[in-house]
Amino acid sequence: MSLRPTTATAPGRLAAAPPELRVQDVTVRFAGLTALDTVSFTVAPGSVHALIGPNGAGKSTCFNVLSGLYRPVSGQVRLGDETLTGLAPHRIAALGVARTFQNIVTTEGTVADNLMLGRHVLSRAGFAATALRLPRAVREQRAHLARAREIAELTGLAARFETPVALLSYGDRKRVELARALCLEPRVLLLDEPVAGMNGAERARTAEVIHTVRAELGLSVLLVEHDMGLVMRLADEVTVLDFGRCIAHGTPDEVRRHPEVLRAYLGTPGEETAGEDTTAKSTTAKSTTAQGTALEEVTDSEGDSV
Amino acid sequence: MSERIPKGAVVLLAALLLCAPPFYLDAFWLRIGLFSMAAAIGAVGLGLLTGTAGQLSLGHAFFLAVGAYGYTWLAGEPGPGLPTGLAALLAVRLAGAAGGLFSPVAGRVRGIYLGVATLALVFLGHHVLLTADSVTGGFNGRSVPPLSLGGFSFGDDGGGLVVLGVPFGAEERLWFLGLALLAGTWWTARGLLRGRPGRALAALRDSETAAAVMGVDVARHRASAFVVSSMYAGLAGVLLALAFRRVVPDYFGLALSVDYLAMIVIGGLGSVAGAAAGAVFVTALPLLMTRYADQLPLVTAPGTTEGGVGPTEAARYLYGAAIVLVLLYAPDGLTGITRRVRTRLRPAAPAPAPATRPSASAVRTKEPTP
Repeated sequence: MSLRPTTATAPGRLAAAPPELRVQDVTVRFAGLTALDTVSFTVAPGSVHALIGPNGAGKSTCFNVLSGLYRPVSGQVRLGDETLTGLAPHRIAALGVARTFQNIVTTEGTVADNLMLGRHVLSRAGFAATALRLPRAVREQRAHLARAREIAELTGLAARFETPVALLSYGDRKRVELARALCLEPRVLLLDEPVAGMNGAERARTAEVIHTVRAELGLSVLLVEHDMGLVMRLADEVTVLDFGRCIAHGTPDEVRRHPEVLRAYLGTPGEETAGEDTTAKSTTAKSTTAQGTALEEVTDSEGDSV
Repeated sequence: MSERIPKGAVVLLAALLLCAPPFYLDAFWLRIGLFSMAAAIGAVGLGLLTGTAGQLSLGHAFFLAVGAYGYTWLAGEPGPGLPTGLAALLAVRLAGAAGGLFSPVAGRVRGIYLGVATLALVFLGHHVLLTADSVTGGFNGRSVPPLSLGGFSFGDDGGGLVVLGVPFGAEERLWFLGLALLAGTWWTARGLLRGRPGRALAALRDSETAAAVMGVDVARHRASAFVVSSMYAGLAGVLLALAFRRVVPDYFGLALSVDYLAMIVIGGLGSVAGAAAGAVFVTALPLLMTRYADQLPLVTAPGTTEGGVGPTEAARYLYGAAIVLVLLYAPDGLTGITRRVRTRLRPAAPAPAPATRPSASAVRTKEPTP
């Protein structure tokens, strides 16, 4: 089964390579609280970019800016040549940016209904055409349903396709959200904690799906996740946020050893020496590695405990 | 759907059954049927707006009035005196336009606030109906010109139309008009609900944020829901006017709006069949109670003042109680009850999770609740 939509069965968005997603100096304030402070990063075309940071670091706020739910006070988000900031959420979706939510937001009805909602921007039938069941609308619906079924198979929901979402397990509902986002045939996929609350097998399965769609569809993925094992395995690049500010960028390995990151996650061994960043940075390679291992252990145990 | 009976046969049987009453029942029953059909059309419209799109509307009576008075004025004297078929069509569009005019408000206001905002429409409408004498006929209302399509009149034209030995008066003829309109409503509304717009509206109801992020234009769909719902209300208004043969302002009051809400709640939100069933229940019950008042305990005949409850009040108590019972024991309404009865009657039906089901027994005492 091909992951690429065949034009014969479903009209999809067949982009060669997704455009670059650039976040430039985005600042968001809520009544005096600065949720994001001149945050900048770039999601390279076709890469998996992870956004990590402690709770309240501004990761979800960043997602809400990207999908148009929040307007930043300054800065902008660009997708290729298009400026996303200032566009309504549905316009951003139409440009091929799909997202999932941290807390699952599905609609009532079956898995099929939810996935077909994902096909909304790719289909055109309006009220009149649908009400009168014009052949055009019927044909369109059939084609999109076939594609939605393919995506359900890809995400492991094929057996649940006609099941009401309310009857599904937590992990399955989480997967419905992922499948629904994939139904947009996105060029950029924003995943807000896709494996939170899942057990080990479910995590592995979702990681595999993310890996597959990225490899086969060539889309860019921006990932918020606390499961550091998953981040380290999937991500090409990692941006670390803390209190609304970018504190580190780099490959997973670089970030894991970054002193600022260690400080944000673990706290500095002695808070009174917090001002002496220079000494922290010039610590010997040995102690950094030791701390890096500590971070791994902490995050791993965090991942397992859920 | 059903394994043993093909769906087409069920539809055909239902159609045949629904065509039979004019040949066997008298005008009283036919009128109950007509009012029920009109109410069903209106209720389907409100179901779309409130049940599916999640926008509470107490203003449905206003849009019904626009349809009813729109037709009467457009087809009548004083008025443009248009051909009645065209007038009916324009009246529906007029109701849709009224819904469209209100949609900027609907786009901004949510939930109970929207309910209160739509309430204003009913009062406004009622006031206009009472005062704009030249168009609406004021307090006494106007008589409704009978519809005639291609030379065939849906009124008592004294032509003495006889079908299968039964003289066809206004009620008999309108019955078939009502059936056709209801069938059209049913067909289009189900198409809408199962298609792209219906899914978008349901998504709006469940989470506007999720809907917007999935590419649904929130403002546009909220407005469209109002327009479409108003058009169904307008159609129901036209049919009601034809059935009543006279439109009066007092009918289109707040109580009517509440009746329609009751219909969709009793029927089960978000379903076309439910809205229709609820409409029949709410419409027919008071009329039947009035007719058989003398045979019910504690209910006095209309016009007598011996104490006890009048038939209309008794009917209201009864359906008030029905709403409470439905909300308590079957929040998914008549459709939910039917669904459960059906699953109970068919133990061998393909279940969503067959592995966990016990072996098929003829009588299942308890349905596992999900």
